Amino acid sequence: MRAIGFATYKEWAAYRSHMAVSLLVGPVYFLVQFFIWSAVFQGTTSLNGFTLEQMLSYFGIAAVINYLTFDFADWNLQMLVRSGKFVTFALRPIPHWLFALAQKLGHRSLGFLIEFVPVSLIFLFIFGIKLWPTLPWWALLSVSLSFLMNFMVNYCVGLTAFWLVRAEGVRRVFLLLKDISAGLFVPLTFFPEWTQKALFFLPFQFITYVPTRVFIGHYELAGYSIGIPALVALQAGATAIMAFLMLALYRSAMRRFTGVGV
Amino acid sequence: MKGVWACIASVLRTKVAEQMAYRSHFFLSVILLIAGDLLVPMITLLVYRSGASFPGWSMHEALLIQGVFGLAKGIAFPLFFGMVSSTLSLVREGTFDLLLLKPRPALFMTMLNGLDPEDFGRLLSGGVLFGYALSGLPTPTFNGWIHFAALFAASLAVLCAFSLFLSGLLFRWVGSSRVYDIFDSITSFGMYPGTIYAKSFQQLLTYVIPVGIIAFVPASALLGRTGWGTLGAAAAAALFIAAGIAYWHRMLRGYTSAGG
Repeated sequence: MRAIGFATYKEWAAYRSHMAVSLLVGPVYFLVQFFIWSAVFQGTTSLNGFTLEQMLSYFGIAAVINYLTFDFADWNLQMLVRSGKFVTFALRPIPHWLFALAQKLGHRSLGFLIEFVPVSLIFLFIFGIKLWPTLPWWALLSVSLSFLMNFMVNYCVGLTAFWLVRAEGVRRVFLLLKDISAGLFVPLTFFPEWTQKALFFLPFQFITYVPTRVFIGHYELAGYSIGIPALVALQAGATAIMAFLMLALYRSAMRRFTGVGV
Repeated sequence: MKGVWACIASVLRTKVAEQMAYRSHFFLSVILLIAGDLLVPMITLLVYRSGASFPGWSMHEALLIQGVFGLAKGIAFPLFFGMVSSTLSLVREGTFDLLLLKPRPALFMTMLNGLDPEDFGRLLSGGVLFGYALSGLPTPTFNGWIHFAALFAASLAVLCAFSLFLSGLLFRWVGSSRVYDIFDSITSFGMYPGTIYAKSFQQLLTYVIPVGIIAFVPASALLGRTGWGTLGAAAAAALFIAAGIAYWHRMLRGYTSAGG
């Protein structure tokens, strides 16, 4: 796994300018959020449990966490299935999902250096966003679980390519819903009560919303207020269930897969 | 001119036929485009629902800006923005030369190659949002509509200029799909009332990187909030597209093909 991760790191280092675009895009998006929320908070000090400072912290933290957990396993797997290149993976001595996870580790290691560190420094020194978690170890654990959860959800979406001729549309629809349900665009407490209740029972909140709230040190959704250790335990449980689902789907996909010589 | 329209119609027919081979994917993609375009309005709706607002702007007024943005994208994306993806893939594959050999200007051929009927779906989301926003506002005056139409043309010019800049960039920055991220991030300033930005920043967004002209300025005209100052915005749009065309041709001259 280390060799695959290192090879991916080196491969992507050749395209580092591709990743370095985040140094422009991340702060620009944040600047938009800064103006929006500064205007919105002009007439009020608190909105759905957030002060202006907390709201800006939420978006800043969510953005940098996204650099750590970013994933495109779905796109990669669908491309391999559609182009027929997956057949080479069926012959390898490790399952493809493990290979893809190692690739993600390598890719995100580079992302840590090129995206996470510089953008965090920009947020810290230019926008004054406090990026030090209230409970560092719990935050680290939560981000690690979010890393795995994002990978597994995306990998499951990628596996749909074994059943669908062109799964790109499904992939894009699902990813959009995932990003909305994860709280990437707006904190989940802004949604109506019934939507919050539904989102509470879906796994997507564990990708962005939960690690961001663990960072901030306070969690609330659908009227439930949960302590950080219990929340991370809940996240670990959800990640384990997702792992079980992914493996079951992977086995089913492998049974379905046919290729020349396999 | 007749030949130009014939080319566009012919390419569109072929592309629609091509998409129909994967009908479910086509319709799903259109639905997704609509859903994606309604994302920012959804956030606006959630903000207003929670009792907050953009100071000086009612919910319908704020949604009108986003509706105009959607309409502009609904026209500019299927017609011009495919240039970006076709330059991206053709330059990377080394097949852009084929466009240069055709008996039409290279810029027109690139635009033609990138025509994308799927993106017309954005017109639907933009139109619905525009209609919804207008339903909650006083009927605009005739002058307001005329003013709006002129500024909407400027909005399309700005979007076309953006596609030229991004497409031109891809002659040098081969295969970088992140130009879309750059576009999305910069233009996101244009989806909200310009008054939420600092005065100097508003000027920057109107005259230097004129993303404010995409939606805020035309919507303000429809709301009767603009005066003669918008003539400056229209001039900025004209200059921006002229710069885009010059930039694209300059970058094309630097294109060395796969042979180096």
